[in-house]
Amino acid sequence: MLMNFDKLGTWRWVLAGIAVLMALFLLLPIVFIVALSFGDSRWLIFPPPGWTMRWYHELFADPRWLQSAWTSARIAVVVMVLSVILGLLASFALVRGQFRGRAVLRAFFLTPMILPVVIIAVALYAFFLRIGLNGTFTGFVAAHLIVALPFSIIAITGALKTFDPAIEDAAILCGAHPWEARARVTLPAISHGVFSAAIFSFLISWDEVVLAIFMASPTLQTLPVRVWTTLRQDLTPVIAAASTLLVLLTVVLMIVAALIRKGKSR
Amino acid sequence: MSYLHINGIRKVFGDVVATDHVELEIAQGEFMTFLGPSGSGKSTTLYIVAGFQDPTAGDIRLRGQSILNIPSHKRNIGMVFQRYTLFPHLSVAENVAFPLRVRRMNRAEIDDKVRRALALVRLDGLGERMPAKMSGGQQQRVALARALVYDPPVLLMDEPLSALDKKLREEIQHEIRRIHQETGVTILYVTHDQEEALRLSDRIAVFNQGKIEQVGTGPQLYASPATRFVADFVGDSAFLSGQVQDMTGTGATLRFADGTMLRDLPLHGAGRPGGAADLMLRPERIDLTPGRGREGASLPVTVEDVTFLGNSSTISARTPWGEVLAVRLTFGHPLLGQVRRGDRLTVQWQAQDAHAFARD
Repeated sequence: MLMNFDKLGTWRWVLAGIAVLMALFLLLPIVFIVALSFGDSRWLIFPPPGWTMRWYHELFADPRWLQSAWTSARIAVVVMVLSVILGLLASFALVRGQFRGRAVLRAFFLTPMILPVVIIAVALYAFFLRIGLNGTFTGFVAAHLIVALPFSIIAITGALKTFDPAIEDAAILCGAHPWEARARVTLPAISHGVFSAAIFSFLISWDEVVLAIFMASPTLQTLPVRVWTTLRQDLTPVIAAASTLLVLLTVVLMIVAALIRKGKSR
Repeated sequence: MSYLHINGIRKVFGDVVATDHVELEIAQGEFMTFLGPSGSGKSTTLYIVAGFQDPTAGDIRLRGQSILNIPSHKRNIGMVFQRYTLFPHLSVAENVAFPLRVRRMNRAEIDDKVRRALALVRLDGLGERMPAKMSGGQQQRVALARALVYDPPVLLMDEPLSALDKKLREEIQHEIRRIHQETGVTILYVTHDQEEALRLSDRIAVFNQGKIEQVGTGPQLYASPATRFVADFVGDSAFLSGQVQDMTGTGATLRFADGTMLRDLPLHGAGRPGGAADLMLRPERIDLTPGRGREGASLPVTVEDVTFLGNSSTISARTPWGEVLAVRLTFGHPLLGQVRRGDRLTVQWQAQDAHAFARD
């Protein structure tokens, strides 16, 4: 390391201050939303004059909220499964394959990460209009899969690169068919990468809003779309409650992902 | 009929010839080592036997039957790799049980065989351990148990000890010898370490640039190397460069830069009068003497340097034409302690220890 934190003297307090400010900058909006979801003012006043669970009752009493949460979950699960399967196949080709244009193919797979989402959204909208996929479950899954796949590929290629292919060769010489060797040896050995891919793919679909707004129809809406449309009509604290639940699931899954990573390094 | 026949194997990658007409017959229960520098084709040959690569030409026959059309996972061959290849998510016992599980053996038989395999490599009681919690030496023992548990007809070992430190390496070399004697398995062993090859093998095939230079027991390779490469690679040696003066039935006469002639040297390779050739002398097969030395098997030299190495001393000696050769004297040699820099002495040798190699 170029800098030793312990030897910085007074500067370490400055550094620590900057770190705290950064953390607040990132976390405060979420803290506000969570606080507002329990506040008893209709007008989203901060700090809330009193506390209540009313908005959560309203949220769970409204079938439209539950409906959209269920839609989100279904889409996210299907996206997760497809993203992991395609991510595995693509990663084997990208890591193990020896063919011309491998680097180009890898860059191509990762472009959805760099391309502005709104451009993908407009392009998909125009394309899906032609083939009649707008407002359908399939359309949603396809759109989210495009943005989830790069993350899946990054997680799985990362794990696969650190896995020595000689271990797979050893399994084959032990008598396992190459596919059996991959399923019983390689896959368990890179399971941490596969789990990360699954969690990230799920989360990307779960809280994606731009593509979802384009894909949504009055009968098929994901939770983030529901939050967005409700927000434009009516500034109710129910939105804060819904957002809090969205954040909660995300935090839980991120903790799971972190635990998996920690378990791996142990 | 040989047990394992590597029959004229040639392997070409693009425009690189990795192995060229490798021909070798191995007897059942033999410990055969492929010795050579990296890129000499020894590993490629091993991978072809394992079925990871297909030869461009040639055949591999086991008990007279070609195995080239059998995929790797059905060849029933055991292999220990250079790198650690234990399955990281399985315990030691599960690792060793893996080949038996994929063969759908029953539970009781698997348990019994695993226990015996772990006992063979002296890891009894460590079955529950995870590979990540084991030392490199232990991991390679487990890999050995895993490769032997299904009683393969041939065990391949691809530099299995190169990742270990010297002391551990010697310890496991002893274990490998013992296991070879106990099981009687036929072993093909790849290494670039001549000491390892000499210590372990029944026979050694010396590889160089995709070809086998010589096959023989350790003592054969040491005492009568067929090529300059083998002479250089197996044991220590000094080469004095000269010119072939003439060739007769009893050997060649070499002429050195100052006009010194040495007669009746066995000449290896395609020598011709006037062509360049090297005289090979091993430091421990030559002697120093203050007298005139053996007729026709000696050279006057000047001592350049004396290095004490414990049980032996190495003396650098300069020939009349300026080349330097090393002489090794064991502790207790009457001349040791008296030899000084600048002394004029004579090196002498037994006629059968001098070999000449024609240069191509």
